[in-house]
Amino acid sequence: MSGRAQHPGGLPSTEALLLPLADRLLPLRPGEPGRPGGPGPVRPPRRPRPPRPAARLIGAELRHAGRVFAAEALKQHRTMFGQPLVVASMLIWPLLQLAATYYTLHPIAAGSAAAARWPLAADPAKLLGFLATGALAWAFFFSLVQSAWNFSYERTTGTLELLFLSPAGRLVLMLANGAGALLQNAWLLTCFLGAAAFGFGSLDVAGPWMYPVVLLALLLPAMAWGALLNSLMVFSRDSTFVYTVLDDPMWFVGGVRLPVFALPGVLRVLGAALPLTGSLAVVRGALLERQGLAALAPALAWLAVLCALLLAAAVLALRLGEARAQRTGGLRLV
Amino acid sequence: MPVAWATLRRTWTMTGRAYPWSYAVGCLLTGILTIGLSYLALHAVGGGTVAADFTARTGGADYLGYIAIGAGAFMFTVRMLLWSSKALITEQRQGTLGALLVAPAGRLPYLLGFTGFALANTVVEVGLLGGFAALLGITLPACQPLAALAGVLALAFAVFALSVVLGALMIVAGEAHISQNTVFLAVSLLCGITFPNSYLPEPARLLAETLPVTSAMDVLRGALSHGAGLADLAPRLLTCLALGAGYLLLGLLVLPGAERRAIERSY
Repeated sequence: MSGRAQHPGGLPSTEALLLPLADRLLPLRPGEPGRPGGPGPVRPPRRPRPPRPAARLIGAELRHAGRVFAAEALKQHRTMFGQPLVVASMLIWPLLQLAATYYTLHPIAAGSAAAARWPLAADPAKLLGFLATGALAWAFFFSLVQSAWNFSYERTTGTLELLFLSPAGRLVLMLANGAGALLQNAWLLTCFLGAAAFGFGSLDVAGPWMYPVVLLALLLPAMAWGALLNSLMVFSRDSTFVYTVLDDPMWFVGGVRLPVFALPGVLRVLGAALPLTGSLAVVRGALLERQGLAALAPALAWLAVLCALLLAAAVLALRLGEARAQRTGGLRLV
Repeated sequence: MPVAWATLRRTWTMTGRAYPWSYAVGCLLTGILTIGLSYLALHAVGGGTVAADFTARTGGADYLGYIAIGAGAFMFTVRMLLWSSKALITEQRQGTLGALLVAPAGRLPYLLGFTGFALANTVVEVGLLGGFAALLGITLPACQPLAALAGVLALAFAVFALSVVLGALMIVAGEAHISQNTVFLAVSLLCGITFPNSYLPEPARLLAETLPVTSAMDVLRGALSHGAGLADLAPRLLTCLALGAGYLLLGLLVLPGAERRAIERSY
């Protein structure tokens, strides 16, 4: 047997990648109890360290965050995403839904009056592109609603206490849980739709530098959204209700399946408060309407503001909830 | 019959103690937002007009009426399937499947009792959706009540038959989420729910014909929006009933084996 084999059963490739990272989450020193092999050699007491420079502090924070991200991703891979059946929810359901939406809107888009109000709809390929970008952004943001719903099970199974007792930062934990679920949930649909779009040649992009912008405009707001949802779900008693409220109404007000101008004013205001709407504006502008960075600057700025607000709200929810939990012993926000 | 009645009463009492509001509101919202989406699309985007090929394929230009009937029937299908097909896996999750199998009660009356409760529950919820459609000014000008009732009963029978097969599949697989949602999405795409399924390619249409919901939708649409009588709709009605009987037979044949597998795996 070669020295490279790490596990008699042979780890699946993703686990082989994540496990070494996650194992270093709590680096035990040899002298500490709890380490297999008993106490190590006695060492002289340490002198107090000189203050570390800021760069090293940031580096340490990033290393810490990386470990938490890897550990959360590994946990979710083992409990949810490691089985072949998840392909149904990752790829097959969104595609079936996309086809049904396309055919439902086709009689309107192909009608005589639609072309003047919504020029994009006159071309079936563009309509499909519009709906596909909607489906992609929806997959990003809804996968976080789902992961937050799953995260709320940590409340009932008793593992939430362990998470909070561990030295992992609270906000990092909330971000890591969302990001782990997001990447494992959305990569397949992203690859598929990306390949389909290139194959059909239906994209209209200002330049190759717009692709990273599009990806970041989806990823970063989605992560901030996930952090807020996770923080709320931890302190929510009826997570199923939150899930229901954010399921269908979110695609409706977010302009996932209809252009935003078709919505009544109240719903447009509600939609503007959702990061999904802002992300979609950037994604569609960049991929379907050949808008450059200058044209998208206001939308990107609004997204940045929204991300900051979402993260601040997540921190606030965590603080409030934990302070209340310490005072009353109950896991509720107010 | 006593078994069916006892199951209905038991389920009624249990559900009354803790009604799954979130589930019900979620299903109702899906229907409401489907109708809302098409309303906004028709008025804000389409300017009140639809493409000529829609009119040619459906025999009418009433897009909203078409969507409303589809959304109502889809909600009916989803809610009935959620209740009936999950009956056995819910027993399994609660740990009462063994007791049910040991009890001297037939499986068909048990499932019929569950479906009877589901029907009473679902009719109220679909009625709420119909109320929303009426608020938007959607009407059914040429409705044949008798034929429509036959359509609803045929759909209920078809969905019951499907739920027996799906329920067996669920207890064998030990999971409900993936199988139920795949069936729901397949029905919404294939069976002519929100668009005429002649838009779909030929193989998809052939696949749709194997689901009794497709023929039940034809009966419902004929009765509700084209004023067709029972005589005109008889061929599609018989297709639906025959397919339903086939699925029911298949379900009752595979159910004992599925129960055996589920029990053997859990001990």
